[in-house]
Amino acid sequence: MKTIVIGAGLGGLLSAARLSQAGYQVEVFERLPLTGGRFTNINFRGFQLSTGALHMLPHGPAGPLAQFLKEVKADVIIVRADRPTIRLPLKKHHPDYRHGFKDIAFSEFTKPLSHKDRLKIALLVVSTRKNRPTGSSLQTWIRTQFKDEWLVKFADSFCGWSLSLKSDKVRVEEIFEIIESMYRFGGPGVPIGGCKAVIDALEAVIFANGGRIHTRAEVSQILVENGRATGVVVGNETYRADLVISNLGHAATACLCSEALKEKIYADYIRMLKTLQPSAGIKICLAADEPLIGYSGVLLTPYAKRVNGINEVTHVDPKLAPPGKHLTMSHQYVAPENVKSLENEIDSGLNDLKEIFPGRKYEVLLIQSYHDNWPVNRAASGTDPGNETPISNLYVVGDGAKGKGGIEVEGVALGVAAAMKKIIG
Amino acid sequence: MKINDNCVGCGQCTSFCKQEAIEVKGKAKITAACVECGICSFYCPVKAIEVPM
Repeated sequence: MKTIVIGAGLGGLLSAARLSQAGYQVEVFERLPLTGGRFTNINFRGFQLSTGALHMLPHGPAGPLAQFLKEVKADVIIVRADRPTIRLPLKKHHPDYRHGFKDIAFSEFTKPLSHKDRLKIALLVVSTRKNRPTGSSLQTWIRTQFKDEWLVKFADSFCGWSLSLKSDKVRVEEIFEIIESMYRFGGPGVPIGGCKAVIDALEAVIFANGGRIHTRAEVSQILVENGRATGVVVGNETYRADLVISNLGHAATACLCSEALKEKIYADYIRMLKTLQPSAGIKICLAADEPLIGYSGVLLTPYAKRVNGINEVTHVDPKLAPPGKHLTMSHQYVAPENVKSLENEIDSGLNDLKEIFPGRKYEVLLIQSYHDNWPVNRAASGTDPGNETPISNLYVVGDGAKGKGGIEVEGVALGVAAAMKKIIG
Repeated sequence: MKINDNCVGCGQCTSFCKQEAIEVKGKAKITAACVECGICSFYCPVKAIEVPM
């Protein structure tokens, strides 16, 4: 079976590795000169920054992505990070960190609550595992259960960090699926060598299985005949295939076969595409001589104005920074209405970092923002429309077609696994 | 070099600029250090860098 993969991002390469392993003849076309999409390293003044992701796998060495990598025999070492922590103001009535702060373990998130609310949470932990809440946003659900706004703040910080969404935009079903995954697979891990180590390992698998990867090769059209994908056009060349996998998200994929999709029978699909909302975010990369956090676990910052969380991956892999330096990265969610004023959002983020690390010395290496056509997620978590398209033998993978309950790249891996099951069986 | 409205500010271009001639804050900005080699444009994921002919 001849297969063409459009886009050499994580989803495309996971698919190519799995299919080539299963004996498919795989050819990957990537528009850019580099592979890995928003999941690879870029060298910046000796620091291994990333094109997107923060060098972390949300469920570490036991999660869906790590499992997938193991299955395709991609050789990556993933080290579990320290446990996440939450930064609280010193006194409960303080609105921010300006008068000091204290850090508590992620598992102690109920600490700021009253005894009554803590008891209620303990009961909900048990009851919701059997009867999952449904039908509302996470924020609405929290507010129907509790009066204390701390839980909304905490949820916003967690959702902002992991999904680049606010808790009012996350379906309660999605978050409970994520909580279940946290029980099952544990917390984050860091791939040694950063995101690029994953990409390199997948490419090695693809090449070993006889697959090919073309860079600077832009697919301009997906060929469709009688409702079936039959190949692609790259430059002046036509490449025929039995199967086409697109890593571009549903909307951009549809643009490549817009003529075929003009038929009436596809109207529902086209309408659905218009409802898809990418999620936006800002990453601020800091360099420091002395560690700013001091451990490899995520630091959630619910009392910062914009920054949702920060990690310091050099505690797991010191080679992600020049000798003696640390790489610290913050992430902040950007609301759709604030995308037009990104500079203000960035300034707020920079101010937050000053409050989170008062009196500490660091250098802002690079500020990276993601939205619209190069977003955090092409489909906001919980709204992914699956891997299938109305065109037969045309599948979509990647962050526009994540699996349920999968945070970021874990969702990408779950989505690819689901697509591969449909294709290979 | 001209940065068009496609730019999201991802900063990918600046890491490939040998002249350190691109500043990024919400959007990329070309500085006077630019020698118009055009390398950055290949690396832009959203076709936001236009190279003068």
